[in-house]
Amino acid sequence: MFNIFSDKNKKKRVGVFSLTCDEGCSIYLTEIFNKKLLGWLEKIEIVNFLAIKDFVEIKNLDIALVEGVVTSEKDKKLIEEVRKNTKVLVAMGTCAITALPSGQRNNFNKDQLAQIKDHLKKYKFLPKALSVKEAVKTDDEIPGCPIDPKKFVEVFEKYI
Amino acid sequence: MHTCDLDVSINKLSKIEGHADLDIKIRDGKVENVDLRIMENLRFFNEAVQGQSYAAVPQLVSRICGTCSIAHLTGCIEAVEKTLDVTPSAQTMILRKLTMYSLMIRDHALHLYFFVLPDLFGLDSALDLPDDKKELIHEALHVKEAGNNLSNLIAGRAVHAPFEQVGGFSNEIDKKKIPAIIKELKSIRPFIMNLAELFYHCPWEFKRKTNFVALATPDFSYLEGKIKTSTGEVIEEKDYWDHLHSVILPYSQASGFEFEGKEFMVGALARLNLNKESLHQNTKRDMEKFLKVFPSENVYHNNLAQAIEIMHSIDHAVEILETTDFKKEAPAKPKKFSGEGVGVVEAPRGTLYYWLGIDNGKVRYANLVIPTAQNLVNLREDVKKIVNDILAANKDAVVLEGEIKKEVEKLIRAYDPCMSCATHFLRVNWL
Repeated sequence: MFNIFSDKNKKKRVGVFSLTCDEGCSIYLTEIFNKKLLGWLEKIEIVNFLAIKDFVEIKNLDIALVEGVVTSEKDKKLIEEVRKNTKVLVAMGTCAITALPSGQRNNFNKDQLAQIKDHLKKYKFLPKALSVKEAVKTDDEIPGCPIDPKKFVEVFEKYI
Repeated sequence: MHTCDLDVSINKLSKIEGHADLDIKIRDGKVENVDLRIMENLRFFNEAVQGQSYAAVPQLVSRICGTCSIAHLTGCIEAVEKTLDVTPSAQTMILRKLTMYSLMIRDHALHLYFFVLPDLFGLDSALDLPDDKKELIHEALHVKEAGNNLSNLIAGRAVHAPFEQVGGFSNEIDKKKIPAIIKELKSIRPFIMNLAELFYHCPWEFKRKTNFVALATPDFSYLEGKIKTSTGEVIEEKDYWDHLHSVILPYSQASGFEFEGKEFMVGALARLNLNKESLHQNTKRDMEKFLKVFPSENVYHNNLAQAIEIMHSIDHAVEILETTDFKKEAPAKPKKFSGEGVGVVEAPRGTLYYWLGIDNGKVRYANLVIPTAQNLVNLREDVKKIVNDILAANKDAVVLEGEIKKEVEKLIRAYDPCMSCATHFLRVNWL
């Protein structure tokens, strides 16, 4: 097993979280993994990453990588929980940094807003879509849509 | 039969693209209701594209889906081109095929190695594979990297590919890199043979009579052809919408579809069932044993079908790269700036349909039909049947809930659903 010595060697506990987005950064992260994963697994334990493993509780994280936009009350609850339970929170990708493209609705005209109004109410959307940076304190960021792979490696390796 | 009442809920299905919850209501030993609730929040692309330039919209809709962004990009570009009378060059069509192949290689590999393999070995994650199976992770990473590198060469990137545009590709191919890409693609062929062998011997079986629908392309390139069904219908791309009907799914930010009033299935299994004779000759030669399985009604054969499609994508890509002299070309230009048009491609998970209306170069509306949305009604019926089958086997009530959860998750994963995509549905009131 890859993770068998996790406690002894104090591997960094890493979580990857997706708010409202296309999950392109997670997907691209699995491409960055192609060359990097086996080396990183010596130093990290992937605790949360719904794309590749079953859900595990959000607890005692060293690094949380968060992609997506905070567009609903549920997103807000999740990001606040992640913030409380991680030492380092990294905003990953354009969505997390700028709130776009979900935040396009913040600039919709009257006609466009009328089309989406009922949906916003029914599914408890926030009045405005927020970037992760606007919703909670972040410690670092990796720009790009999807994330720039070199920048990801540079930022991630600072913390592991 | 066991006469029990049971509510089974799975919160946050894992190892699929996007977020979904599932509730199953069992009364008197029979499934009363199945609710697959797609928990992705809408991002209002349908509204956001209104008024945007035709040239910008393909890159915008690419952001609907991370993993199959290339399919959205390509399908939307085709719709723009059909609308504005743009005729792409023969080389552009070849480059698009290569781009689609790069997508199929890495997207199917992600699904098969990282989402399905854990079920095959009874593990939480592919990262937990035991030492004697660890080689599979190395192979997975090599296969994905080969697809990724092909995307980089042709389209600039595997996710939200920057070079693919209306009328052509913005970048010239770096010919110096081609031999290394060919070598890498050939090097992963044995891994795909191993992978197909695993799914060929996989004992999982679930059958329920349904209709399969796919765009049948003459060279299995996922781009241009006629829509075929297992009931024998042949439909032009532009007429696809006439046969689809939207179905509202309660409590879900997505809707489902029926074809001619009945549930149907799209994706790799449908493509293999309807069009296996169009696969590349090298794939047919080396995978003859696996191809005999099709046509098949076993939903789990979608996994084997995906492995075969990876092989075809490798083989046809290699042939194209070995025989094409790529030249610098200017993009084809629109002959008009208003109209309506339809683009249909086969995305990894099935037929993807774009219908655009453009006025003076600005998009008036976009209507898209996503593969996962087309599969949702069929999936719901399959979940009902598999749970009823488990109930009929008269299991101990204590083990029942666990078994239902396990089997249902496995079945849903075989569909390779994409919840990010599925939340983008059309609204008929535009018409």
